[in-house]
Amino acid sequence: MIRTSLGLIALFAVIAAACVAFGAYFSYVTLQNAHRKAVETRFGVTAERIAGSAQTAASLGIALPAQTTLADLTQREARLDPTVLSIDVTDAHDRVLFSSDPARIDTRESGRTANAVSRRVENDLASTIGQVVVRYNPQTLAAGEHALSGELQTIATPTLLGSALATIVIGLLLAAGLGRAARRAADPAQWPRAARSALAEAEAAHAALKTGERP
Amino acid sequence: MIGLRAGISLAIALILCAALAAIAFAARAAVERTIVPAIAAQAESVGRSAAALVESAVTSGVPLDKLVGVDSYLEGLRAANLELAELKLVRPDGKVLGLAGAPPEDDHAQQVVTAVTARTGAPLASLIITIDPGVVSDQVNALLVDVAFIGIVSLLVALELVALVVGARGTEALAALEARVRSLAQGRLWMHSDAAEKSPFVAPIDQHMALLHERHAKARSEATRRGDADAIANLDSLSARTGLGTVHAGENHAATIIRPALFLFMMAEELARPFLPRLAGAMAPSGMEMGRDLAMSLPIVVFMACVALSQLPFAVLSERLGRRRGFVIGAAIAALSYVGSALAADYFLFLATRATAAIGYALVFVSAQGHVIDHSRPHERTAALAVFVRAIMVAGLCGPPIGGVLADRLGDHTAFFGSTALAVLGLLVAALSMPRSEPVKGAAGVSLSELGSALKAPRFAALLFGCALPAKFLLVAICFYLVPVELQKQGYSAAAIGRLQMIYPILMVAAVPIFARLAERSGAHAGFVTMGALVAGGGALLLLIGTSPWIVAGVLALLGLGQAMSIAPQSALVAAAARHVPGGRSAGVLGLFRLIERTGNATGPAAAGFLLATAGFASASALIGLMVVLGALGFALSGRTRASGTDSAPGSEAASTEGSRL
Repeated sequence: MIRTSLGLIALFAVIAAACVAFGAYFSYVTLQNAHRKAVETRFGVTAERIAGSAQTAASLGIALPAQTTLADLTQREARLDPTVLSIDVTDAHDRVLFSSDPARIDTRESGRTANAVSRRVENDLASTIGQVVVRYNPQTLAAGEHALSGELQTIATPTLLGSALATIVIGLLLAAGLGRAARRAADPAQWPRAARSALAEAEAAHAALKTGERP
Repeated sequence: MIGLRAGISLAIALILCAALAAIAFAARAAVERTIVPAIAAQAESVGRSAAALVESAVTSGVPLDKLVGVDSYLEGLRAANLELAELKLVRPDGKVLGLAGAPPEDDHAQQVVTAVTARTGAPLASLIITIDPGVVSDQVNALLVDVAFIGIVSLLVALELVALVVGARGTEALAALEARVRSLAQGRLWMHSDAAEKSPFVAPIDQHMALLHERHAKARSEATRRGDADAIANLDSLSARTGLGTVHAGENHAATIIRPALFLFMMAEELARPFLPRLAGAMAPSGMEMGRDLAMSLPIVVFMACVALSQLPFAVLSERLGRRRGFVIGAAIAALSYVGSALAADYFLFLATRATAAIGYALVFVSAQGHVIDHSRPHERTAALAVFVRAIMVAGLCGPPIGGVLADRLGDHTAFFGSTALAVLGLLVAALSMPRSEPVKGAAGVSLSELGSALKAPRFAALLFGCALPAKFLLVAICFYLVPVELQKQGYSAAAIGRLQMIYPILMVAAVPIFARLAERSGAHAGFVTMGALVAGGGALLLLIGTSPWIVAGVLALLGLGQAMSIAPQSALVAAAARHVPGGRSAGVLGLFRLIERTGNATGPAAAGFLLATAGFASASALIGLMVVLGALGFALSGRTRASGTDSAPGSEAASTEGSRL
């Protein structure tokens, strides 16, 4: 039984520590996603603006490949933010038509790129005619994520250890209490008051019957 | 006296609350140091872009004073960036050239100033953007609510793990000792029959008790021999007061045994909830005629339909197989289906794996429910079913956030391996913890005439159609359909809507065991079912007053409280009604109950969609609420007009043979 109790206490300490770790990790992931969203919103604003210009021109009848001013626009917007690696305008088949980085023109954007934000360019019939892709420096995210991880680790590690230790201490105290109660329970003279009084009542009733008295 | 297991569970809950509060505090500091500056950087980006556009116009020869449409341009920027309270283009002499929005009330609101300069570098104007601290603080608070929710999830997971450990067979000796010590503390001197193997701590207590009971039995025989009626009455009264002469069977652990396995299995299915529509949408063939929206919802519809249709046949199958075997086979089918879902590249193959997962899910569900009902005495059934319901609700709360993170980290398909792992774990825990299967020999399918006679049972039809079906209809229609649609229309984000929807399951998890205990103690199961439906349905009528998020939150809270009141007593009433089926078997009746209940699930969104289109949000919700109230009143009235046979005091049910495999 002592082994069972100690095993249980150890298991409970592991559960407490694991759940603190779980809570800290999931809090980190929640904040990391929020940080990514906050950072990407900024690039999304830029992509939205360029997509808006392209859509306005398209609705005036200028086909996307013919919107040559987009080259200047992408370069100007990219220059404004040093964390932007490139701003591409692609056609419906993901071929880069205009880019702030001339080397990327005529290359192909392959689906969903990491560290990039895109907005669709639509015609008046809501069909997709292309997209604007803003690629940003992954360091922008990494720095924030590193700071978040550092902040949470600083508090999570001691909290985790503290939780496990507190569980062990409380567990040992409770086990000691149970052990004491078990030892007392083995000796009727040391039973709790309610049990002693029930026992006394029972013994009196039994004794009374033996002596022939009315209990 | 608080035992080691209960005490340490409580201690873990308190320790985790403190630990998670510390993490939330650190999260707040982290948010202020990283995310708030990122929001400010967005204002800078908007400022730089707008300033560059103005510079470009000036370079093209348009004088600054002659720029047109500046106000509407700035207004467009403000509308696209909610955290920007005011955008102002100001000349160095103070003349305002363009303005959108208004300054926030807070004097310390952060401002981002971007200079508009000529090619020569001479200053032309400044674009001053004032950030709304209220919006930023709302965003931070929303994040902290998410972190707090993660804390609740961690706590619930911890408590389920504790329950798993506490319910393990290795702790029987400890449980036996705790039961004896607790009895003595209460002045109860009964014998305990729960310890298969006497530990050195338990044996001396039991020896004393055995001696005492022997003396008591002798004394009573002596009194009987003498024909001393007073002494007999006195000794019997002593027995009643102290428990002498009584053998205590110990607490019923039917539901506690099944809880960890059920929690693990249900969480396996819940993991997929956040990414399933997205994955289905991505897998749907591009030329599919049904459209992307339907393709996204089809796996959910197939799953729900298979679960609903399997309830009735599987209730009988589970009896034939035995509960443990039924659970294990169901979990194995589901685990294999999750592997299939993870590997399937074809949309229709994926649909097939969802259908087989539903078959496994239904078999596990009915086996677990059957186990709880088979192994609980009628007067313990409400509390036992509350534990069963709670395990499912907790899994529903914990699964989606974990599944979302798994899908983000590993990809949607691979996240299904997480479901596989949990289903296998649930299977192993069930195989190790559930009692050996006792297949019911000759268990046959329930015939229509038998179900007909069950429906004729006092109040059973009224319970099914007046309470069970409307309850699920109300839940799905209001909580899962009308509220999200309305709040989305009001401009609230999906995350904010999700946070509001959490009110229902959190209240259910917290309140179901409390109301179940109260219902059990009072024996007023039907009263709790009626009152719960009135609270939940009446709550929906509040939407006639207004549709603000606070009122919606109140409606969801009343829905949670109302259904927490009724859900376990309702299942207990159904199990009691099963006595009216020839042979007194519960399987078919429970299957029928779940089938009708899930019909409410299935019809809820479609009917709510129709009502929303014809009557609007408030009226549609109020109509559904009214239907629930009328159903509850119908059920209550059925109790006045028919002899009550289903709702009796606990003591009177003790004689029931149904479910007494103890």
